[in-house]
Amino acid sequence: MSVSTSPAQLSARHLTRHFATRVPGKLFQARRVVRAVDDASLDLVRGQVTAVVGESGSGKSVLARMLARIITPTSGELVLEGTSIPSRAKRTLAYASKVQLVLQDPYASNNPVHRVRHSLERPLLIHGAAKHEVDDLARAALSRVSLDPPERFLDRYPHELSGGQLQRVSIARALCVKPDVLLADEPISMLDVSVRLGILNLLKGLCENEHLAILYITHDIASARYLADEIIVMYAGQIVERSRGTALVDQPTHPYTQLLIASVPDPSDPTSMASRSDEHSSFAVPEIGCRFAPRCPFAMDVCRHSDPPDFIVGEGHTSRCWLYANEPEAVVEMALPERRREGGNDEDMKMSN
Amino acid sequence: MIADPLKTHAAAAATESPLRRVAPVHARHEFVLEVNNFSVDYGVGEDMVRAVNDVTLKLRRSQVLGIAGESGSGKSTLVYAMTRLLRAPGVISGGDVTLNLANEGDLDDVTPLSLVTASERELRNIRWSHVSIVLQSALSALNPVLRVGREFNEVLKTHRKGMTRSQRHDRSVELLKMVGLNEDRLARFPHELSGGQRQRIMIALALALDPELVIMDEPTTALDVVTQREIINELNDLRSRYGFAMIFITHDLSLLIELADEIVVMYAGAIVERAGASDLYEAPRHPYTFGLLNSFPPLHGERRELAGIPGSPPDLAELPKGCSFAPRCPFVMPRCRLEAPPLTNIDGLDRSVACWLHIGGPSVRVPVELSREMSPLRTRFTALEDRA
Repeated sequence: MSVSTSPAQLSARHLTRHFATRVPGKLFQARRVVRAVDDASLDLVRGQVTAVVGESGSGKSVLARMLARIITPTSGELVLEGTSIPSRAKRTLAYASKVQLVLQDPYASNNPVHRVRHSLERPLLIHGAAKHEVDDLARAALSRVSLDPPERFLDRYPHELSGGQLQRVSIARALCVKPDVLLADEPISMLDVSVRLGILNLLKGLCENEHLAILYITHDIASARYLADEIIVMYAGQIVERSRGTALVDQPTHPYTQLLIASVPDPSDPTSMASRSDEHSSFAVPEIGCRFAPRCPFAMDVCRHSDPPDFIVGEGHTSRCWLYANEPEAVVEMALPERRREGGNDEDMKMSN
Repeated sequence: MIADPLKTHAAAAATESPLRRVAPVHARHEFVLEVNNFSVDYGVGEDMVRAVNDVTLKLRRSQVLGIAGESGSGKSTLVYAMTRLLRAPGVISGGDVTLNLANEGDLDDVTPLSLVTASERELRNIRWSHVSIVLQSALSALNPVLRVGREFNEVLKTHRKGMTRSQRHDRSVELLKMVGLNEDRLARFPHELSGGQRQRIMIALALALDPELVIMDEPTTALDVVTQREIINELNDLRSRYGFAMIFITHDLSLLIELADEIVVMYAGAIVERAGASDLYEAPRHPYTFGLLNSFPPLHGERRELAGIPGSPPDLAELPKGCSFAPRCPFVMPRCRLEAPPLTNIDGLDRSVACWLHIGGPSVRVPVELSREMSPLRTRFTALEDRA
């Protein structure tokens, strides 16, 4: 399923996580299973950024937490540097020193009563650095994220820094134990617009200059296009489309990806989508068949009965949609990319229940 | 939910179905809201911080005014202060806000009301029935222990005294339908609804009394992009049907360009640029606007490195002398560090900018990025070319 050529630093193989929940309002009835992530496989390669795009509830954060081994997968396995890690094994320090997670909200993920110095030195000490060298290492970590001079920031409290600076501190904290893999879960969505690009460019630089493998999780498909070498789109816990490079954004094939792209405010596009739909959010994810089918404008009979596999739609580009099965409904298949190019989404993407 | 006075006082009891008017744009009082030299401080004395500095705005009837700015730019403070919802230590320290209310929808019969000097009683009369507000977080704006229907019922009961129980129910259902929700949502609790549904309910509530002005404070920031798109389309649709004016606050400039008629960009409490939406996009004049527009990675065209804006958003307590954007500005001149540029009309009456590059006299050479022609056709064409 993976399309990478170079050996991956960290791979996920068929990672799945289900959560059991109660049915609302029915206290003693059967539990319902939420399939937060289903059968997700991906490779994080050194020197590359892999972006995972999805709306809230698509399972992208659960995926990141499974990769960081904060959440235990229901099934599937992680492969770190070619060594398989049993999914039930305990999270170890050795693993944490290879794979680090950066969270969305820098204000919530930095302890407000500790100085920046503390946030940086504590992981260093835990990971076995000698006491006399932690100061230098902390300074070096701040320089790596362009917080110069480090003296200005080491003894500050989180509330004294701006959101962008604090997110850089979070990244420095993740970097100071010298990980090979950086998992960034929506690192810019809480930041001011004018400083977002600074963080994106920082991640890009770390990836290119220090050959980190980076997983960039976002809901903003334009920033994924800006940054990523591979883009993965998730919907309702499944990977629905993935491509090397920007093919997925330039030529989206899956109806969900098309909807996502058409929804982005785009001042340069005079034909912005003008659809009126009534509460899509209440569409339940179906138990059988394609999970997007209830919202899909192209849904066919087959979509409601069986879950589509990944179909190859281009070089390094797969789409989990029956429209791209080899024989059927070839007319629709031909029409899809055409529509996008013409920008004529108004009629086609109209969502009807 | 929004503020107690909103719920607790009766407005003039107009029982007929109040969704009726579409205002002509050029009435005698074409502006529904006029803000003049408005300033807001937090605190007094030495620790005083000026959050809104000398803001002047005019909002036409049925128009959408977009306010763009980053956190700390004063955009939310501005609207809370001008609707008198701002609590201490926020203090209105200068200027005036005039709301021109049309009596019975007759635009030739307009009563101006100064919101700055209005009494609590007068404010209660205009809040919700004439000016309503939608807040960013719909989850915290809706009471978690009340069913949604109760919220509708309370507003109507308070402000529309003559309505019977069944009329109130019918009106609630009608409002839900307006925003594309099914009537069974009335029996739900907020936590049973998705973020998008909750925000739609907030919008329906804001429109319940058919206001002339609706203020939206980042209504879509917490939502997914697909849901955001639906809400924006919904708002456009409702606005064209009912003709209310709207102030839309967001940090997402590209969203505003699609939605708003006119946009003001705020930085460090002051307006730095004001222009029609497409003019602002095609030909930004202020370096900050230019930087913001270049902070959104594009969906089309070649991938190229974008720089964003260097530095950090300003600390209002330690604003630099002169132009507050000067420390981050790529085109900074010596004069910028000494003297703050006033907001001045350029290129005709419809746009103004506060930047010495444009108002510093003929000797200043305007950088090519900030002197683009405004030509809608040409940019459209290039945009299409980029995509091909």
